[in-house]
Amino acid sequence: MKPTRTTGSVIALWVFGVLGVFVAVLPLLAGPYAQAIGRSVLTYLILAVSWDMLIRSGQLSFGIAGFFGLGSYAAVMAGKWLGMAPILTLLLAGVVVALVAAAVGSVVLRLRGMYFAITTLALAEIFRIIIRNWNNFTGGPNGALLSGVIFGGNAAATYTLMLVLGVLAIAASEWFEHGKMHFALTAIRNNEVVAKSSGINIYRYLLIAFVITSAMQGVVGASYAQQFGFVTPESSFHMNYTLIPLALALFGGMYTSWGPVVGAVILGVLGEYLKLYIPYGHLIVYGLIIVLVLLLMPKGIVGLVRARMREVSHD
Amino acid sequence: MTESYQLRTEKLTISFGGLVAVNEINFSLSPGEIVGIIGPNGAGKTTLINLLAGLYYPTSGRVIFNDEDISTRPAHERARLGIGRTFQLIHPLEDLSLIENVMNGFLFAQGMSLRHARDAAAEVCILLGLSDLDRPVSRLNILETKQMEIAKALATAPKVLFLDEIMAGLNSTETLTVIDTVKRIASEQGLGVGVVEHVMGVIRQLTERVVVLDGGRIIAAGPYAEISRDPQVVSAYLGEAHDAED
Amino acid sequence: MSKTLRLQIILGGCVVVAAVLIFLWKPTVLIYGVQRAGLYAAIALPMALILGVVHIVNLAHGELMMVAAYITYYLSRSLGVDPFVAMLITAPVMFGVGILIYKLTISHAVKGPELNQLILTFGVAMVLSQLVNLLTTSQTRKISLDYVTASATIGETSFGTYNFLFVGLAAAVLIGLQLFLKRTRLGQAATAVGQNPNGAEIIGIDVQRTYTIVVAIAAGLMGIIGTFFLTKFSIFPAVGGAYTMKSFCLVAMAGIGNLPMIVVSSLILAVAESSIQAIPGGSGWAPLVFFALIILVIMTRSFRRSS
Ligand SMILES: Nc1ncnc2c1ncn2[C@@H]1O[C@H](COP(=O)(O)OP(=O)(O)OP(=O)(O)O)[C@@H](O)[C@H]1O
Ligand SMILES: [Mg+2]
Repeated sequence: MKPTRTTGSVIALWVFGVLGVFVAVLPLLAGPYAQAIGRSVLTYLILAVSWDMLIRSGQLSFGIAGFFGLGSYAAVMAGKWLGMAPILTLLLAGVVVALVAAAVGSVVLRLRGMYFAITTLALAEIFRIIIRNWNNFTGGPNGALLSGVIFGGNAAATYTLMLVLGVLAIAASEWFEHGKMHFALTAIRNNEVVAKSSGINIYRYLLIAFVITSAMQGVVGASYAQQFGFVTPESSFHMNYTLIPLALALFGGMYTSWGPVVGAVILGVLGEYLKLYIPYGHLIVYGLIIVLVLLLMPKGIVGLVRARMREVSHD
Repeated sequence: MTESYQLRTEKLTISFGGLVAVNEINFSLSPGEIVGIIGPNGAGKTTLINLLAGLYYPTSGRVIFNDEDISTRPAHERARLGIGRTFQLIHPLEDLSLIENVMNGFLFAQGMSLRHARDAAAEVCILLGLSDLDRPVSRLNILETKQMEIAKALATAPKVLFLDEIMAGLNSTETLTVIDTVKRIASEQGLGVGVVEHVMGVIRQLTERVVVLDGGRIIAAGPYAEISRDPQVVSAYLGEAHDAED
Repeated sequence: MSKTLRLQIILGGCVVVAAVLIFLWKPTVLIYGVQRAGLYAAIALPMALILGVVHIVNLAHGELMMVAAYITYYLSRSLGVDPFVAMLITAPVMFGVGILIYKLTISHAVKGPELNQLILTFGVAMVLSQLVNLLTTSQTRKISLDYVTASATIGETSFGTYNFLFVGLAAAVLIGLQLFLKRTRLGQAATAVGQNPNGAEIIGIDVQRTYTIVVAIAAGLMGIIGTFFLTKFSIFPAVGGAYTMKSFCLVAMAGIGNLPMIVVSSLILAVAESSIQAIPGGSGWAPLVFFALIILVIMTRSFRRSS
């Protein structure tokens, strides 16, 4: 979108693009284990991207796990009660979560700062409690089981599905980054009064961003549940689904569409190794990353690289 | 004889807690005229603009624009209707560049596409004497900041425009530049302009008519020459302003 | 001013009437509600202290309590002493933990954007709970003490009395904090800093030092409160999270800076919660009522602020 592009950044873009395609296709050649890692990376990648898309408006959500869990349940319930085809349940989950987010968002998007952040945390908890208590529909505390998993558990097919979802998520994020949305959300984040005076309907743009990002989280939840074939209130609404995406997005760099992607790929792959060495409490790393990144490099990797590139081009 | 004003208010009033910041004000602004809004610190000038622009809703009274009561319309709708304003305390959107700051009005108040908005914003910026439009706003000097502020307001295609102490902090040559710009815009585009200023020289050069506020009320109105001789105004405002200016 | 006073009187009246009705319905509901309110208020007060003075929402608040409970647990196990004896070590240790957390993390964000503060303390919360998870696994732990089963009987209803200790604890924390803020030089400085940090700096108060001590005091209090918590409840690494949220909501309901109102807001929420629990089949839904109330409260609070 920037009118002047240096040759350096064009080359960087190409290198990045080719590398990206290579990394994305690699697991398809490398076999089921690589595909499993790739799936997990993509799951958190989409969540991280969606979280970042919302925070570009200045609204901090701790509710990722809530919409993820809701999507998981929507998909499994549709499979269980309606016998819907797995791939369609992803769509349904997206719609259900979007509707819930629209209803909830129309109220809570009047809140700002800590009030909004903590309310989203409470929302995730509310969803979990409702699902847990709605025994005869959701299976209550024991959760629910599907008769089979998506694509019969074919790792390559599932990986491809996640890859498609990941590409869609990045496309949505790029659309946010380069369209009118970018102007609206940045203006709202910087100064709401100035934004209003330019004719920006703040509430409308916040609602659009909230509904879209929540729906993305819901679809990821659905795809996750379809891969493993079960849901429980504790596992499907687990805090990890909030913690990890946050860490990935911060590490890669907030307020950019490539930051969360870079963060997810680097940390996602690293995380898989970590899991092997410290099976319990490997999540501490994500907490540490959040703290360290905020203290030492608040703009993340992408921010560092950009600053470096600017230095080079000024020399 | 019905006189049709672009913008007028009827007994416009707002109170914050016990403080009545704007008190039963009847104000009007016609196309093409430049009106001065003056008064001592805390008189209610900025609050009046905020009421007109929809950042505050009145406790009582009405804001009428083209014969429509817009008292309860939110700020973003009023920007689209054509009520433009600058801010006394300028807060540029720091994560957007100079031209992107100006593009917002074209994008959202006028509903343009990105490409058209960029071209239109560039045009307005150049009209105002701005250059190097992709700069981050942190690199602007004070004159450029003020010019950008006017450009941002113009980007919403205002029919009436309020400038809240836009000259404050400028030296005398810079002030003259901005005075010229405002006059040109008002006459070329037929805008009604409301100018809030503490510098009396600016008011004298720019405006045909002046409204004096004090304690939220209009205490005098008329041409500058008359106003400046009004003993009430002198005691409420000019005395204090002369002290403050020196 | 008189308007808020009238509002408070009306609110107070409603609470009293509701309390009498509940007492007539099921006395134990009121008793357990009051006991629980003590626990909630005690936990919320130190968070209110930090929010009021340092103006930071400490999302690691519940985790501080959790860490304190674990420290007391292992101390009392390894030394073979009563948890309340171990507390004599836990509280100062937590005071030190508070200093450490402030110096290492929060101090770098106090002047920064609110979003960064929230994410930072969220990160600290995750580090603490995951650290405990790493060291002790996620297994639930509990100390069995015979004195906690004490009970009393009035008429035909018998009920546990040990939890009244939480009411005493809340009262002690509240009175202690009020005395600290009003009577001690340090506390007065903290109040001044809370109201206007720049002004306080000008009149020669060391703002950073005040912040450090306030966070340390809050953490030290969590050392005590965590110990009390351990004597009655099971602990696990994630036990603190819910209390962070509940505390924030109680503070928001009371109004930031208003410590005594926290007792009232705790009473309302705790009694409401135990009433729902008393309805057959309602126990699972009790937390929902809590969170729904919380959102309601936050919404009305922030609406009032914006209008
Ligand atoms: N949001 C608000 N809440 C409470 N009081 C307000 C608010 N906005 C303005 N006021 C009060 O209303 C009065 C008028 O303020 P206003 O900013 O309109 O004055 P002004 O004429 O623009 O003064 P100045 O020349 O200093 O800019 C002042 O006493 C101010 O403190
Ligand atoms: Mg003003």
